[in-house]
Parts: sequence; structure tokens; C-alpha cells
Amino acid sequence: MGFDLRFGWTGPIGGVTLGATRSEGGTRRVSYRIGGGSTLPFLDSNSSFSSPLIAFEICDNPVFWPPIVRNYCGDLVNNVEDWAKTADSTYGADMIRLYLTSTRQRNFSDIPAVGKAVEAVLSATSLPLIIEGSNEPKIDSEVFQRCGEVAQGERLLLGTAEANRYRSIAAAALAYNHSLIAQSPIDVNLAKQLNILLREIGVLRDHIVIDPYTGTLGYGFEYSYSAMERIRFSALKGDTDLAMPMICSPADTLTIKEVREAESAVQDEMAATWEFYTGLAAAVAGAEIICVRHPETVGKLRLAFTSMKNGTGSAQVR
Amino acid sequence: MRTITFLPSYRKIDVDLGTTILDAAQRAGLNINVVCGGQGKCGKCIVYVQSGKTEFDRQKHSRFFTEEELVKGACLACATRMLGDLLVFIPESTLIQEQKILIEGLETEIELHPSVRKYYVELEPPTLTNPSPDLSRLLWGIQKSGGPVAEKMYAPLEMLREIPAMLRHSDWKVTGTIALVPGGYRLIDLQENDTSKRLYGAAIDLGSTTVVVYLWDLVAGNVVGIASNYNKQISCGEDILARVNFARKNGLSKLQALAAESINTALTTASDTAGIDRDDIYEVVVAGNTVMTHMLLGIDPAYIIAEPYVPVVRRALSVAAKRLGIACNPNGGVFAFPAVSDFIGGDIIADILSCGMSEREEVSLLIDIGTNFEVVLGNREWMFSCAGAAGPALEGGEVLFGMRANPGAIDKITIDPETLKPVFSTINGIKPRGMTGSGLIDLLAELLVTCVIDRNGRINTGINNPRIRKATHFSEFVVVWAQDTGIGKDIVITENDIKNLIMSKASVHAACVTLMKEAGQSRHDIATIYFAGAFGNYLNIKNATTIGLIPEIPYDHIKNIGNGAVTGANIALINRRKRKTLDEIALKIAYIELNAEPAFMDEYTSSTFLPHTDLSLFPQVQKMLDACRLLRG
Repeated sequence: MGFDLRFGWTGPIGGVTLGATRSEGGTRRVSYRIGGGSTLPFLDSNSSFSSPLIAFEICDNPVFWPPIVRNYCGDLVNNVEDWAKTADSTYGADMIRLYLTSTRQRNFSDIPAVGKAVEAVLSATSLPLIIEGSNEPKIDSEVFQRCGEVAQGERLLLGTAEANRYRSIAAAALAYNHSLIAQSPIDVNLAKQLNILLREIGVLRDHIVIDPYTGTLGYGFEYSYSAMERIRFSALKGDTDLAMPMICSPADTLTIKEVREAESAVQDEMAATWEFYTGLAAAVAGAEIICVRHPETVGKLRLAFTSMKNGTGSAQVR
Repeated sequence: MRTITFLPSYRKIDVDLGTTILDAAQRAGLNINVVCGGQGKCGKCIVYVQSGKTEFDRQKHSRFFTEEELVKGACLACATRMLGDLLVFIPESTLIQEQKILIEGLETEIELHPSVRKYYVELEPPTLTNPSPDLSRLLWGIQKSGGPVAEKMYAPLEMLREIPAMLRHSDWKVTGTIALVPGGYRLIDLQENDTSKRLYGAAIDLGSTTVVVYLWDLVAGNVVGIASNYNKQISCGEDILARVNFARKNGLSKLQALAAESINTALTTASDTAGIDRDDIYEVVVAGNTVMTHMLLGIDPAYIIAEPYVPVVRRALSVAAKRLGIACNPNGGVFAFPAVSDFIGGDIIADILSCGMSEREEVSLLIDIGTNFEVVLGNREWMFSCAGAAGPALEGGEVLFGMRANPGAIDKITIDPETLKPVFSTINGIKPRGMTGSGLIDLLAELLVTCVIDRNGRINTGINNPRIRKATHFSEFVVVWAQDTGIGKDIVITENDIKNLIMSKASVHAACVTLMKEAGQSRHDIATIYFAGAFGNYLNIKNATTIGLIPEIPYDHIKNIGNGAVTGANIALINRRKRKTLDEIALKIAYIELNAEPAFMDEYTSSTFLPHTDLSLFPQVQKMLDACRLLRG
């Protein structure tokens, strides 16, 4: 077309490596290098642009999980190993994101169980993992240490660092060479601030993935989109403190009114569709990892990404 | 009616059942510290009920008390109602104390050219051959003594009534006082014999918290007395908004009277110190914020605080002192500085006059920080201004151990990077009781430099030092151990305090940047930054830059002008030509409403970081911080 798709931008997005194969010192069957782009996604079909990764989210205590997913997956949700295995082989995810929801109870102290859950998922699937630690600052340090330790060499993506609690997770990531997710509430400045804080305690840029926080389509996603756009534009214009890949999780879509109140015959379709469109929009805004919870969303996203990447026109998304 | 007895003074007052202790104390003439205006939000009005029945929700306000205070029966005066006769102990720390007020003279030389002058004349008595009228005779005499042209002077009826008898009684030796008022020259006083050396004027900063008076000898051209006291309107509300609301409820005349009374008290103190008669004060120049000026003039301020925030007038006003109840010479005048908008008032115009930014080609940035902050950017061609709420944090409010610049307030701090032991000074050198705004800014900068806090203001609790600890609600840093204080408890700064300080500094910085962008100026274009306000003189400029309160420019280009309002009033008092420029300045200033600037919130968020999210705006600070970090490893 002869059109400059880089618009005079200078800064490429930094790369982050997730997962480690045997030759890289881990036990995964693949490892991914995300980031590296020098323009917006899906613009140039000839470039080396790789489609966003699709991560499937599971947890070790389904009480906290959306009912629609619990119903759809059935007994699987009670067995984190089987669930991870199915997500890998049947649903076709690129990564597994394990939420250690078991830690979200009063006075939780069974840290060894946390290590066991991570080990179980590591052996159930050979995909690279994202591990979400506790939500409680008091046990953060121990939980992250344990996760980091049992998965040493696997180059996990650990979640989630926030401006008011990032030291424990950063310590674990630094000690065991994992990467981490840096989440800020839908604001380019706050995203940058957290990245600076992490940099200043020694976390390298190629170990940070930005989570700009994903609002649900129809429930404020436009704010997320615009924050992501500003993050990406700043990065492409050379702001190295924002030049990291992004991760988005439209998990909130599964509990919105439209999904909850949908007729049972179409409820799954509604859930997956809503999650799909939110995820797709996040991918267009530049996210390198899209996380989903409804199994049917994985295929829809995969098809859309392929069609968009190949420029095959209107994708047949079902 | 029930009786409350206040200890330790044993002052008694009878009040209705259900009255709050605060109300009763105020009626008893006790000035209790109420930063929040009595809403139960600041926790500064702690008193101890020693006997009697009260109604107080201790649970709801428990965060303000230590264990020990609770045991002793502490409660908040504003939130405690009396249900019977009471015996109440008011600790010293709860009372408003003598305040250290910034007082400083002029640095530049200003020509003595006041708008009021006295002329001593010895007249020829009239004869049948020289029968010209008394007034003409007097005015010609004044003209001959160097006064204005006789035809241009006007004598009001009251003067005419006095002239004939006085001329004859004094054997035709009188002193006439001529003032330049908007209508021209006016004879405002006539005295027997030579009183021409007794001519005084007062320059006044009418602040919402304090009133400062400089008394000038307008013949010799020197300051003869300085005085200050609290603005008595505080009894009608701590902040401006509370007072405007008070005015709405038919309280305007009371507020007007209190403003005048506050000025009169200061005038009396200054006159007594100088040993002069208040009747020899012929002119009073007042620089006050917009609402204060309106209230002093008895103009309803209600419309200033509602959209679209317009003041009633945007020009200087001259009024007869007696119409405002100002206790100077009954025929003396009051000159009030013009106001631009709700927030840019006469005090800011006075700041501009005193720093001289409106006379220069290069661009200056003026920042006045008080309860609110005002920022002016510009030069002799153009000016932009804006204002906002800095929150009370920089004045010591909303900070657990924050306080005003009273005795015992820590006003300067450094921290030893190894031991984290603070070295500080307090006002009057007594044992510390709390921290002032300048002390807090020092503390914030030092905590950042010593890596105790991160750029977000979070305390690194991983550091092993007894001064860093986790309290029930927030992590905190112990500034002074209880035994070394004057209040018997540890003086700490909490993460929440730091958060409030960062929010305050962020709004100031964001306002500066918003103005600079509006005017297309970068920090490199700014030749000088002026700091005004009482806080200005005590402020450590380097630390203010380190925390990102102001844009970074070379430190030696940042100047404290101290109380610019009173300095500006001084200038306008002694030189009437300077006074003429005030209306021009007021008309030149464009006011930017920050609420209407979409970019402001963005600038604010990026400023909520130490010093700023965009580190390239603070190269010097960044270099210094990097060096400190390197040392720390």
C-alpha cells in the first residue's frame, strides 16, 4: 500500500518471555516471546506480528467463580488438574492462568497447599502458566515465595502487582526469575507510575506485563480502551516506562446482568459472545494476552485473530 | 439553662441543654481549634469531660483518640452535647495559640508618594479690602504650600461647617488634610495649628485566618508599628465557605463588623506600640481575598461561590472609613484592592505588585499557597491565573500531627540517612507538638531521599528500623518519640498523611502545568518562580522541588516573597502611582477555571507521584535521587 504503518514511531514494545522449555531450563513444551511490536496490532498482514495469546483462567476453589462457568464445566472445576488438562487439550488455550482462590478465606495459612496446587497444574499441562496469588497483603509474601519456588525455572507470569502492594510479588519474581503483571486502574499515568516503582526496586522491563484493568464492553470498556491506546501510543513514541506488553482479562463480563438474566438456552452463547467481543476489542487496542473463563470463547477468539491477521475479510465468527 | 465550667481557667457559662461543648466554649470566649469547622472530621477539638452527663458517639470518633485519652474520657467538643451541668477540661493543645506571622519589609525602594497629605498654612485674616471667602483663602493657602491647584480641591459640607470657627479660633493657623479620591482632591480634615507631622497610614493584609497591619509614618516614610491578630470571623466558620453560608443566613452584617473589628484590634495594637493616636491614621489600604474584601465592604458574597463565580466588582474601591466602621480618622478613607474572580482576589493582585512580575518582559510564575492556592503566570503583556483547593494538608490539617505555625511546631527537618534519626527545629524552640506545612514538606522530601517511602508515598516496611512500624490502620514513621515531645505521645507521619500531602502537592503542580500549557510555556521559559503566602518564607525551596510541588527550574531562580499581600498593600499605601496600575493588572489577568479544563485531571494524576510521573520534567531531582539510591545500594 506504500502507507507507513509506523507513523514515524520510534519505540518498539519490549519483549517478555513466558514459559521455559527443557532446553531453556524449564519443563514446558513451548515458550512465548510476547511484545516486540512497533505499530498497532492487525495493521500489517505481512509483518511478523503474532496474534495475541489466549489464556484460560481456572482456580483452585470454585466458590469464587462465575456460576455460568461452573455449570458449563461441571465437575471439572473441583479438580484443578483435570481442569487445566482440559483447557490445554480440549479448549485449546495457549496458556493457563491459575487463580489461587483457596487463599481467599479468613486466616488462610496452608501455604504448602498453595505450592501443591501450582505443582499439580505444572504437571497437568505443559503450557506456560500465569499464577494469581492471594488477595491478602498479610500472606502475599509467603504465597508468592512458595509459587516462585516450586516453579523455579518455568518463567511464570505472576499476578498481580498494584501500586500499594508490589514488593512481595516483585521479591518472588526477582528471586526465581519470573515475570509479573502490573495492574493499575484504567489510567496511563498510574500504569507508568507502577512500572517506575517496579523498575526502581530492580524488576527489569522485560519481566513486566501491564494490566490496564479491563472494564466490560457496555460497562465502561471504552475507558479501558482509551487507557490502553494511550499506553501503547506513549510506548511507540519512545516512553520506555510504558513499553511493555499488555494483558487483559474480561472476566467481569460473565457476571453482568445481560448474561445472568439470559434465557438458559442461550446463556452460554450470551456469555461467550460478550466475553469474546470484550476480548477482541482489547486485542485490537493492543493486548498481547487475552484471558477468558468461558471455554467457548477460546475458539471464537482464535478464529477472529486468524482471520484478522490474514486479512481474509469478514471472519465467520460463530 | 445549665452551667458548663471550663478548666483550667474555671470559666463558666450558662447554656441550653443539648448545646455542644464547642458552642459553649466559643460563647465563653475560649478559642478552640476547629480545622473542619466543627464537623467532627479533624479531631483537633479534644476535651475531657470530668463530670456531668453528655451525649457523644465515642465509637464513631475512636480513630482520633489514643487508648490513654479514651481512658481519661476524651471526646470531641464539636460532637458532644451537654445533658446536664458539666465540668470540662480543655487541654492547652486544643486551644488556638499565638501564631507566628510572617512579617517582613520591602526589599525594593519605593518612592514616598502617598495619596493623602497634610499642609500647614498660616493665613492672612480677611479684611474689607481682601474679603475672599474662608474656603478660597484656605485652599489658596494649601496650594501655596505645595498642594494641588485650589480649583481642583473640593470641601464637603461637613468641612465647610467647621472651617469658619476653626480658622478664627486658631488665629488662622491650621493644618488641612487633602486626599486624592476617585472624584479628585478632597479636603478631609482640618486641625488647629501645625499637625502636619502627624500623618499615618495603614497597610493591611486581611486574611481569612489572620489580619496583619503595617503602620506607616507617611511623612517620614517609615514603618512605625506592626501588629497582627486572628480574623475574628473564625467564630462564624473556619473556612471561607462556612462564612459565606453564615452570611447567607442574615449574618453578613455580623461578618462585616467582625472584619472591621479584627482590623481595628490590629490598628489599636500597632498605634499603641507606635505611641500614636488612631485619629492620625488617614488612610487604610486593604488587600484581602475576594470574599474577605466583599465581606469587609458589606457586599453579599453569595454569588461569588456559585457558578459562574463572578465577583461584584473587578476594580479597586475607595470608601470612607466610617462607613465600614474602621477606627481610624473619622474622615479617613479605605482603599480596597481589586479582585479578579472568586479566587484571584486583592491579595493576589498585591502579590503581583510586590514581586513586580507585571512590569517585566520575562515570564514569571507566582504561587500563593494558603488554605487554597492561587497560581499566576505571565509578564507585562499577558497573565493567566487559576486557583484550586490544595486541601488543608500543607497547612497541617488532615495530617495526624499537622498543626499551624504555633509554638512547638516542627518547621524544618532533615533525616540522617543511616540511622533515620530526624534532626529538626521547632517554632520558639520548645519541645515539638506537631508539624507545620514547611516541616511536612521537608519530611516528605527527606523520607523520599532516604528511601523510607517510594515515589508513591508508601512506607517501605521492609526496612528494619524501630521508627518504621505498622499501626492499626496505616504504616507510619516515628518522627519524635513520646518522651521528647511536648504532648506525651509519639509524633508520627502515617501513609495516609503522606497520601494527603501528595494529593495537595499534586493539585498545585497540576495547576502550574495547566497554566503553562494554556500559555504555551515550558519550564524552560520561566525566568522566576515566586512563592507567596505565610508559608513561603519558611519553605525549603529545594525540598519543595524534590517532592514536585512546583515545576523544576534552577533553585536560585525561585524566590520567597513571603507575605506578598501585605507587601503589596504597603507599596500601594506609600505610592499612589503604583496603586493606579492595580486596575490594569486586574483587567489583564485571564482566569482559567480548572474545573472546566479536561486536561487538569490528567495533569493531576501524573503529579500524584514523587516528584512526577514524567521524570524528565525533574532532571535535577532525578539525578539527586539516583545518586542517593546508588549510595543506598
